Amino acid sequence: MMEYLGYIAIGAGATVGLTAAAFVIGIALAVPVEWVRRTAPPFVRGLVNAAIDVIRAVPNLVWLFLVFFGMPQFGIVLGPWPTAIIVLGMYSTACIAEILRGGIAAIGQGQWEAANALGLRQFDRARFVVAPQVLRVTIPVLATFAISLLKESALASTIGVLEITYRAGYATQRTGDGLTMFLVAGVIYLLLSLPLAFASRRVDGRLRARFSLG
Amino acid sequence: MQFGDLVAVDDVSLTVDRGEVVAIIGPSGAGKSSFLRCLNLLETPTRGRIRVGDFTLQIDAGQPAPKAREVHRLRSHFGMVFQGFNLFPHLTALENISLAQRRVLGRPQDESDSRSRELLERVGLAEKALSYPGHCSGGQQQRIAIARALALEPAVMLFDEPTSALDPEIGLEVLQVMRELADEGVTMVVVTHELAFARDVSDRIVVMVSGAILEEGPPAQLLRHPQHARTRKFLSAVLDR
Repeated sequence: MMEYLGYIAIGAGATVGLTAAAFVIGIALAVPVEWVRRTAPPFVRGLVNAAIDVIRAVPNLVWLFLVFFGMPQFGIVLGPWPTAIIVLGMYSTACIAEILRGGIAAIGQGQWEAANALGLRQFDRARFVVAPQVLRVTIPVLATFAISLLKESALASTIGVLEITYRAGYATQRTGDGLTMFLVAGVIYLLLSLPLAFASRRVDGRLRARFSLG
Repeated sequence: MQFGDLVAVDDVSLTVDRGEVVAIIGPSGAGKSSFLRCLNLLETPTRGRIRVGDFTLQIDAGQPAPKAREVHRLRSHFGMVFQGFNLFPHLTALENISLAQRRVLGRPQDESDSRSRELLERVGLAEKALSYPGHCSGGQQQRIAIARALALEPAVMLFDEPTSALDPEIGLEVLQVMRELADEGVTMVVVTHELAFARDVSDRIVVMVSGAILEEGPPAQLLRHPQHARTRKFLSAVLDR
């Protein structure tokens, strides 16, 4: 019995690893995606919007199966890990790009005008005026998204990534004690997400004390 | 210039001498702010010519918008102070004033910081260098914003209703700073409802109504003997309050 608890707990590494990888990909790609969306001609902007909508409209489970079971028909065979990272990474990119859009929209017109009047170039304006304020308003939303992504990663169990949920399922088959095994899984998810929520509130509170947005 | 079908500013021509202080007054919606914002292209006029020193930018109807490089060059001649201050809330007063010095003028950090401190001193806020705008009063924020604009050593300072968001008493400290700038010979174009300031500080008052200049002249003459009934009506509305 106890051995299975350890067996499930080890899956936390895969859960956190998958979540972190997807989140980092999301941040890294969402920033240029949002830049393109704000600067490119309308046609390109429309394409980006369409891609984001398609990614978000189709359930991640369907995406996982499409890539994992569908791509081999084109001769592209990806293992469970690459599939999960690609699918959740794309999902993160789409969601974080939307979060950034909201954050940018929250910045007052006066900030842009002040930056323009000072003669700041587009990149400097983005880096020194817009980005810090976007980060400030989006930290709580990004943390909420990270927590939901952590839970979303459980879907990877369906294609054989040995994370928490997969292991709880396997342990249930071996012991017949689904209640205990999935309770353990639930508690591990809880323990993983609590620090995120805590850290987010702390950072948010600290930034809020320092400055409020104009 | 136009917003959709609405012509906000029509055929306005204004020449300001070096060191001159021009106050633009007039009823709301007269296009005062729009005109001011056309000068540094925060609004793009349909057509017109802007000349500062030996730099000229010509905009013709139907022509492509001016290039970013041209726009930056034009803006480098103007410092702008907004009604709502528009300080960067995530930067300290010092950083607000230093940012464009470093990124636009390419000044090294120590030089820009010491220049920023001088400017803070000049607007009477040396002790606020490390404060964030959110921890400063409106009047203090506006003085920091003036220092920020001055830091780039513009040829002309544009003020867009700089005291309208402040209560009258606090507005005085901003007007005091502006008086000092005028005394030091800074060229200023000020859109304002502060007639006392326009009377005492400006060299010339320009009255704008319905997107056009109705009349202009030295303050004493214009305020005492306005030529147009519309000007008289506006002045009495402000003065009889």
